[in-house]
Amino acid sequence: MAEKTESKPLELSRYCVPFTPFKGKIEEASVCIVSTASVREKKDAPFNVEGDASYRVISGEANGSDLTYDDEHFDHACADADINCIFPIDRVRELAAEKRVGGLTERHFTMGFSMALRDLREKTIPQLAREVDRARPDIVLLTGG
Amino acid sequence: MQRTIEMLGIPTVVVTVEPEETAQARPPRALCPKGFVAGHSLGRPNDPELQKRILTDAFALLTGPARPGEVVTMEYGK
Repeated sequence: MAEKTESKPLELSRYCVPFTPFKGKIEEASVCIVSTASVREKKDAPFNVEGDASYRVISGEANGSDLTYDDEHFDHACADADINCIFPIDRVRELAAEKRVGGLTERHFTMGFSMALRDLREKTIPQLAREVDRARPDIVLLTGG
Repeated sequence: MQRTIEMLGIPTVVVTVEPEETAQARPPRALCPKGFVAGHSLGRPNDPELQKRILTDAFALLTGPARPGEVVTMEYGK
């Protein structure tokens, strides 16, 4: 039994904070947006608002007007008027035009609402993290609703 | 999610309107724009200057002193 415990890979304690230092300049950094606000491109399949552990990819070419969201958990007045309140793709693009950040990565990622914590932890989040890594961002900006 | 991405060697920052919940998750870097709630965590609609200020403050946490596990709260007026 003791042997079995010792062979199990160690897991990061929840009290430990993983920290990757940022090297370089914000003005040159490419930004990837990762959101849990159920945002998607209008042409893509909707999230199931009852619970959905899948994720969607948003093109770095997309404008706010190409996006929508599927949600029943926050007040929609602001996001309906301006989706940048929850997914600031136009604003990051403007910051890039103003040379205050480097730019947007080619792909961005969003998740829906889900209470399937095990699925999220064991499938969705590892898959999504690998996709984020492949997008080769210098910075990841995470947003909720 | 944030911790997993950070573990891959990519610096992250989260903008949150639920600072207590976020702090429990021990985030590498987090900004809470005070007064905003879910549905407009990145600032008021059609107020690009405010939204860009919040984003710029969030990105500034990447070059400022490391405060891992902390949620930094900032005021943006009404």
